[in-house]
Amino acid sequence: MRTGHFKENPGQLVALSDSRVVWTWFAGMLCVMVLAPFLIGNYGLTLVVSSLIAIIGAVALNMLTGQTGLISLGQAGFLAVGAYSNALLLTDYHWPVWLTLPASGLIAALISLLVGIPSLRLKGLYLAITTLAFSFIISHVILYAEGVTHGPNGVFVKGATIFGYDVQKGVPLYYLVLGLTVATILAALNISRTRIGRAWMAIRDHDIAARVMGIDLVRYKLLAFAISSFFVGIAGALMSLQLRFVNVDVFALILSIEALAIIILGGLGSIAGAVLGAIFLSFLPETLRLFFSMFADEKSALFTDYVYEIRGAAYGVVIVLFLRFKPEGLIGVWKDARKYWSNWPLAY
Amino acid sequence: MRTSIITCAAALLLSTVAYAAEPGVTDTEIKVGDVNIMTGPAAFVGKGFALGSKIAAAEINAAGGINGRKLTVITEDDGYIPARSFQALTKLIEVDGIFALNGTSGTANVLAMMPLITEHNLPTVVTEAPAKLVYTPVRPSVFTFGANYEDAFYAQLKYIHDNMEGKDAVYGILRQDDDFGKDVEAGFNRAVKEFGGKAAVRVAFKKGTTNFSAEMAQMKQAGVTVLANGGIFAGAANILAEARKLDMKIQSAGVWSEGIPASAALSAPAGYDFMVADYVSLVGPANDKFKVLAKKFVTDDELSNISRYTYVAYIGLKTLAEGMRQCGKELTRTCTIEKLRGLKNFETGGLSAPISFDNPLQLSGTAVGVYQFDTKANAFKALSEFKQY
Amino acid sequence: MDFLMLLISTGLVSGAAYGLIAMGFALVYKSTGVVNFAQGEIVMLTAYIAFSIANGLHLSFVPLVLVTIPISMLIGLVLERIFIRPMLGEPVFAIVMATVGLAVILRSATIMIWGSEPFNFTAGMSTAVIKLGGIPFYPAQLYLMAALGMVVLAIWLFLRFSRYGIAMRAVAANETAALLTGVSVNQVHALAWMLSSGIAAVAGLLFAANFKLAPDIWFQGLKSFPAVILGGMDSVTGAALGGLIIGLIENLSQGYIGEGMREIAGFIVIILVLMIRPYGLFGSRDIERV
Repeated sequence: MRTGHFKENPGQLVALSDSRVVWTWFAGMLCVMVLAPFLIGNYGLTLVVSSLIAIIGAVALNMLTGQTGLISLGQAGFLAVGAYSNALLLTDYHWPVWLTLPASGLIAALISLLVGIPSLRLKGLYLAITTLAFSFIISHVILYAEGVTHGPNGVFVKGATIFGYDVQKGVPLYYLVLGLTVATILAALNISRTRIGRAWMAIRDHDIAARVMGIDLVRYKLLAFAISSFFVGIAGALMSLQLRFVNVDVFALILSIEALAIIILGGLGSIAGAVLGAIFLSFLPETLRLFFSMFADEKSALFTDYVYEIRGAAYGVVIVLFLRFKPEGLIGVWKDARKYWSNWPLAY
Repeated sequence: MRTSIITCAAALLLSTVAYAAEPGVTDTEIKVGDVNIMTGPAAFVGKGFALGSKIAAAEINAAGGINGRKLTVITEDDGYIPARSFQALTKLIEVDGIFALNGTSGTANVLAMMPLITEHNLPTVVTEAPAKLVYTPVRPSVFTFGANYEDAFYAQLKYIHDNMEGKDAVYGILRQDDDFGKDVEAGFNRAVKEFGGKAAVRVAFKKGTTNFSAEMAQMKQAGVTVLANGGIFAGAANILAEARKLDMKIQSAGVWSEGIPASAALSAPAGYDFMVADYVSLVGPANDKFKVLAKKFVTDDELSNISRYTYVAYIGLKTLAEGMRQCGKELTRTCTIEKLRGLKNFETGGLSAPISFDNPLQLSGTAVGVYQFDTKANAFKALSEFKQY
Repeated sequence: MDFLMLLISTGLVSGAAYGLIAMGFALVYKSTGVVNFAQGEIVMLTAYIAFSIANGLHLSFVPLVLVTIPISMLIGLVLERIFIRPMLGEPVFAIVMATVGLAVILRSATIMIWGSEPFNFTAGMSTAVIKLGGIPFYPAQLYLMAALGMVVLAIWLFLRFSRYGIAMRAVAANETAALLTGVSVNQVHALAWMLSSGIAAVAGLLFAANFKLAPDIWFQGLKSFPAVILGGMDSVTGAALGGLIIGLIENLSQGYIGEGMREIAGFIVIILVLMIRPYGLFGSRDIERV
């Protein structure tokens, strides 16, 4: 049993983790993830890819909402910007995919500055509603800027190859998404340890105090918008690669709300929480499906008629129950489990 | 870590299962997938559709199945969200192992599923969203049944021009600002151009709009007498209610979703004998015959839910089954597609024009009939036979 | 009949609906600091309940409203008890997300109970067209505007003079101080939910009577956000005025610009307004709660 964990030099304080156990686990996880395509079927792989994309989106939103305290309901809009940038650059301008991906992120980041500047004076829900408004406006612009975006017809995404591999499906897509997910998580972990990350958290905790300490609110808030949207844009681009078709209907408002639900359920402000939340909510429909299929033999009228709606309602019930009984989120569950494990058998 | 890698590798070797000859087909069963809108405000589309699949499958199975194999339909919900349609179809293909696909949800949804359909060479009959985007470019395994909105609106406006309103009719269009609305406008443009009619006003609105007061004020101001009403469900009804309030004398041409009883009931109070055009029959002996058939397989409760979506599902599944039947015992996807491609004059019992997919677009059932709702009798009456426009 | 007058009159009608829904938002926000994302769903649910009552009891409009409001308030109380009360003391953001979960549940439940097909619902009102100064109205439209006026008056009187209304304002001003002076914050929260559900019932019933009863009414909740923001999140009467303004702007922009502008005009306006007044037109300056 460990009696405590002591940090003895500054290096240990700023290290991502000084625990060899953590690194070993991380390597083990990575190994499993790399081997995953050979262990699960195609459907499982599709789900995993979707959840990895959700992780990128959630980790990015967590920078803005969890770490800087700027609530955004505009996730769907930035996903749409990223997805459309990628789709159009690939299909209409025939850029290679290794260029379109960062370009999608950059375009999303630029557009986020347009949103960020008028939003600088706003806080809390006023900001949330403004970002919501922008996401409505983005979808309107996509619909009407037909010359560029193909308007209502949508875009079929094709021609994404890296080293000759078609990265729009199957294993190559999985590895691309996995690589970018790991990169995003590492980037997020590192940013939160830098001056920028600490400035964000200071702004979140008390913006006036942060300003007094010499943090340039305008600069860091805009930076939060830009960096977060960069990654959201990449998540959108990956969505367009996976779906192989984009259209404004794909980026419904529900995506913004689900993204917030993910980081809240995971544990606001925690990167690990965002990851856990994304995994949890991505697999929730599937879990519910399995759960309900256990009763599929009962041919009661209510059940067959309403199974789909019941599944929908169950999604809401899980969110509510979670918030009610574990408000610190999945990361709280994880910490409890870890504490229980390391203190066992002397818990409490 | 090393042990875990070894374990992983071992698992990998074990998981290379021998692949079945053709997915979705066993000696006793054929699985057909259906991705549809089962939740949310548009769920009645999916429910009406599921009913049609059920009736068709029950009828086929009662007659001994397809060459001795029973037909099973597996429905997945997509809630009208394209990303979920993609996931639902992946599940149907990979987990349930469907052989063919009959329900395809809305236009954006079927487009999102298209890459998967082509990749798996999945025999697919699109009956719900027969839009141009679905069959141009033509995909080898996709067969489209139904007319597009352009033809449907052209047919109605032509009928109105020929039989109801004179030369001095003033045309107006109210349409959604998406692909669906564009098709409506294409039909409108074609009609107005051909008749040299006065197209006074064109208005676009966003999906989900409920309040059409400003739009209808524009129509009133322009003196519109013939309205191409591109609203759906409650939207179309709200448009007519607004017209009634403004005391407008209009003849309204509508979307086929207005042909379902629930929509008609919504629009009825406005008192307009509005029109719809559809590629399946709404009233007539074929529909009565279908009800008699349906009675054998479904409950009375379900019987009242029969709508045009039930007919299109029924027709789609029957067509697909015909393709499979022609393949005989050796059922493969390639064979089914080939047989469907050769399908000629397949009778749907009068529910639609006969189906022939032997054309480059693999498109059929594009003939539309024009119907008018009689507010006094509270029922539709057929104005014209199925005709190609 | 003037085109502009027609746009203004119908703009005020839809604005009245926004105003009523926005008042429900503002009332809960003012007293509890929570934005209730399920407000639109409560509007929808209460509209369907009114529909069932109307069908079961064959009531005319006024009795129907009088029966529906208390039932809706009871529903508001129950929802608060089940979903919100247990979360007291949690971060506001978590409670807001709980209302998002509640919204999902209510949407599914409504379709499970009443199905997804829209209904005609006259709410016991005549559908004969009435002309006022040459401008045609449906009775339901006039009732909707009248309802907004009456609800604003009632809420204003309640907040100004009633014991509970004053307690509510005290809680809004400073929850801890209010608690210390003996105000039961719990009761105030419950009351806010009850009142806002009552208002939601009026809004839902009249909205459905005007625009059919359909399971997508919940979307009006989101569409009312510009009204809430314009009025200032914590100003109940401001929300009503915000609703009217947004309704007018939407209708005028659709009438004169078109191209689907109605659905985004409100959002463009609030972005502009918030750039100048970040706390809305009537909101108090220091709102910082999430």
